[in-house]
Amino acid sequence: MNTPHDMDTTHDIAVEARELSKVFGAFRAVDSISLQVRRGEIFGFLGANGAGKTTAIRMFCGLLPPSAGAARVAGYDVATQARAIKQNIGYMSQKFSLYEDLTVAENIEFYGGVYGLTREGIRSTTARLLEELQLGDQRNTLTRALPLGWKQRLALSVSLMHQPSIIFLDEPTGGVDPISRRNFWRVIHDLAAAGTTVFVTTHYMDEAEYCERISIMYQGRIIDMGSPSELKRRHGKSSMQDVFVHLVNEPAAAQGAGGAA
Amino acid sequence: MRRRTLAILRKEFIHILRDWRSLLIIILMPVLMIVLYGYAITMDMRDIRFSVIDDARTPESRALVQAFSENGFFHLVPGPITHEDIPERFQRRDIHLVLVIPPEYSRDLARDHSTRVQLIIDASDNNVGTFVNNYSEQVLAGVMREMNGRAPLLFDITPRIFYNPDMRSTNFFVPGLVALILMLISALLTSIAITREKETGTMEQILVSPVRPLEIVIGKVLPYVLLGLLNAGVIVLSASVLFDVPIRGSLLLLGLLSLMFVFVALSFGLLFSTVARTQQIAMFMTLMATILPTIMLSGFIFPIASMPAVLRWIAQVLPATYYLTIVRGIMLKGIGLAELSTHALVLLGMGALLLLIATKRFQLRLE
Amino acid sequence: MRRIFYLVQKEFRQVFRDKSMIGILFVVPFIQLVLLGNAITTEVKHVRVLLGDRDGTPMSRAFLQSFGGTEYIDVVGRESDERAIARALDRGDASVAVVVPRHFQRDVLRGERPAVQVLADGIDGNSAGVALGYVSRIAAEYQARLISEDPALGRQLRDLRRVQAEPRFWFNPDLQSKVYVVPGIVALLLLIITVFLTSMGIVREKEIGTLEQLMVTPIRATQLILGKIIPFSILGMLEIAIAMGLVYVLFGIGVEGSLLLLFAESGLFILTTLGVGIFISTISETQQQALFVGWFFMIFAILLSGFFIPIANMPETVQYLTYLNPMRYFMVILREIYLKGSSLPHLLNETLAMVVFGVTVFSAAVWRYRVKLG
Repeated sequence: MNTPHDMDTTHDIAVEARELSKVFGAFRAVDSISLQVRRGEIFGFLGANGAGKTTAIRMFCGLLPPSAGAARVAGYDVATQARAIKQNIGYMSQKFSLYEDLTVAENIEFYGGVYGLTREGIRSTTARLLEELQLGDQRNTLTRALPLGWKQRLALSVSLMHQPSIIFLDEPTGGVDPISRRNFWRVIHDLAAAGTTVFVTTHYMDEAEYCERISIMYQGRIIDMGSPSELKRRHGKSSMQDVFVHLVNEPAAAQGAGGAA
Repeated sequence: MRRRTLAILRKEFIHILRDWRSLLIIILMPVLMIVLYGYAITMDMRDIRFSVIDDARTPESRALVQAFSENGFFHLVPGPITHEDIPERFQRRDIHLVLVIPPEYSRDLARDHSTRVQLIIDASDNNVGTFVNNYSEQVLAGVMREMNGRAPLLFDITPRIFYNPDMRSTNFFVPGLVALILMLISALLTSIAITREKETGTMEQILVSPVRPLEIVIGKVLPYVLLGLLNAGVIVLSASVLFDVPIRGSLLLLGLLSLMFVFVALSFGLLFSTVARTQQIAMFMTLMATILPTIMLSGFIFPIASMPAVLRWIAQVLPATYYLTIVRGIMLKGIGLAELSTHALVLLGMGALLLLIATKRFQLRLE
Repeated sequence: MRRIFYLVQKEFRQVFRDKSMIGILFVVPFIQLVLLGNAITTEVKHVRVLLGDRDGTPMSRAFLQSFGGTEYIDVVGRESDERAIARALDRGDASVAVVVPRHFQRDVLRGERPAVQVLADGIDGNSAGVALGYVSRIAAEYQARLISEDPALGRQLRDLRRVQAEPRFWFNPDLQSKVYVVPGIVALLLLIITVFLTSMGIVREKEIGTLEQLMVTPIRATQLILGKIIPFSILGMLEIAIAMGLVYVLFGIGVEGSLLLLFAESGLFILTTLGVGIFISTISETQQQALFVGWFFMIFAILLSGFFIPIANMPETVQYLTYLNPMRYFMVILREIYLKGSSLPHLLNETLAMVVFGVTVFSAAVWRYRVKLG
């Protein structure tokens, strides 16, 4: 099996989509999107609920086969090599996905086991994570008793246990307080600095500012893409909020901009 | 107070109506069950397969065999069989009974006026064993009547059967199904409804609001009472339309007492929901506490009077025991409140007690 | 393989996290087993009988005297007024009334064959029939006594030709219900535990989102399913083993046939019910739906298994329906091995039927999962 390092030497592109679409019945959830994400980049998907962000991410993660188009993640084809992709990515969704009736340590052990870590690996990782998250005293606490911000951080750490080269975060900070959110983003920046590609969806405009590049999704399409400063400049707005409202309200501008990007 | 209860009530209704799959199951399942089990559950054994070891080979012995095979319940499996074959044949389950006619059958009958035959019965299912034995006795009684003509009796027994003259088993089982289905569905409904809120965390939301425990409980139970009553109506209706089970008593009274029973069953489920933390546990508790006792101990199939003392006591505390008497009484006997007042009071008491405990437990959670 | 270990470990931890689960799985079932082992019997005892004497002669009194004194009949009172009897039947105070008519003694002595009236509550037809049988037998015995005291009648009686039946109840000579009921309850408990643990467990993971989380890990679908099957099979087998031990110790009922075969067949049965549980999880969105679908299956499986009502008693169409019920086969297998010591060749049809059922239901589950993912 390829390690992330083998892949890094051959590809500098972590995620790539070409006219990727997903159709449910008559509904085009994702409508022919194309994008490229470099290794180590923080790439954001900005859009309202129902814009197709989650569907797109699920295709990248190999959870949903695409209806048309193609995408490669970590160098593997999402349609045919889903399992190889899963070995190389981390995933954390808006639904908090740890087992609430398992303790902190049991959750770490379980996901470590699922990702195929050795017994020794699990032991050392558990120790490291508890240390990092300052959860040492809580190792035998049921996860349901943790504050939401900590749960989130724990979930992130758990989804990184197998040191994936790409991490997909689907609305990771929903419902979390601002301080925890800031801390969370600091971790994400550290990750990216260490070479992990971060692919994140959000509908928080302030969070979009943290991304190196964002694509704005509307009704299944990418209507514009670029760095936050680029986008603000292009549309003559001072905040991402204004850019977003402008694009969504004026589809014509979006069309033109999308074509330009 | 009333407004708050109303709010919870409305919310609960929305929950019920939104999940159409569950709703469909809740409403259609009883009908399906009554159709299926109304037909399935009978105590008339058909097709008892038997073989014969006829060591007498006389006209009398052949007449005996013929009496069995012409009886309608018995079916002769032809072919020779020996004593040594019997274990094998029983293990293959192709026969239930071996009729063994001894060589001296006709001789004894002529000389002593008394002879015997052996009935070897596969009794691994004791109920089947009992049936086979009873039916065989009937056949033999017929054979003796044939041989003796009118017996020199001093007096006769003339039976008069009340309520169910043809002794149809549907008349017995279908009203019983009403009790079974209502008990199981109602208790499950509430126990799940509340633990679901606990699991999803919405219960905390309600608990921190100024709603009183009793209001929550009433708001939770009432919609299901109505649902249960709807169920009862549908079941009783299908019983009378599909199976011609008569409704001799007052339909209004039946509805009223059914309401009471549903109330007890719901309170029962409610109590479990205050103990259980997850839906799974609530479900297991409810199932374990309702399904077997209701089927086996309430008099649904097996007569309570025949049970050992301990089980008779347990039967006395099962709500279904009382409701069964009520349904059968109203539908088949046509009796009214005068005869059923004790049963109604017991149900009412049980419901009130359960509700009280459940509400108390709610308060404990709040503190 | 190691991944499956972690899945299994997690499943056990979750099941036993809540202490009440231990009670539910290992205490309550066995209390029920012990209690209900004696319950099921179609034998009719303690029939409540009202006696009415409109004659008031030595003969009528002697006849009525012969009721009672056995566990089959409880004399609950004396009443000869028809309306009062009807009321007693209505209230359920009595289920049978025997009324000796006026001039009974005179008519018997004149050879006019008076009729003793027996009024019976016929709602429970089976019990009513048996109760009538008891009354007839008592009447017959009383007549025999009268006849034996009268030489002229005695000769007639000797001429009466009789065929006596000697029933031999194989495998269960005393027609004990527990011999039969206990294996049935074991099957039932297995069914409840396996179907609901899997279906609700999986749907819960769907509801809280952990299933999706597992899907993005490199775990294979088969590993995921094995991770669910193994722990619940182990639990199921444990239940069986405990139940068998308990039945042996408490009721003295041992396994006639091969223990190995019994366990193998139990494993097969557990696989079919786990398959049902997994299939239910694929068609349910919420635990409540899973619960209701599972519940429906369970009631179907119980009532049409031949446990309470012999399948031979059912109408033909319903009998065909029972072929879709894995519990039907397991009940037969369990009872045959337990009581008759039957071996595999005699149980081939049932075994094959369970295999077919298991394969079908697992294929359906996998197919449903594919459909959902696509």
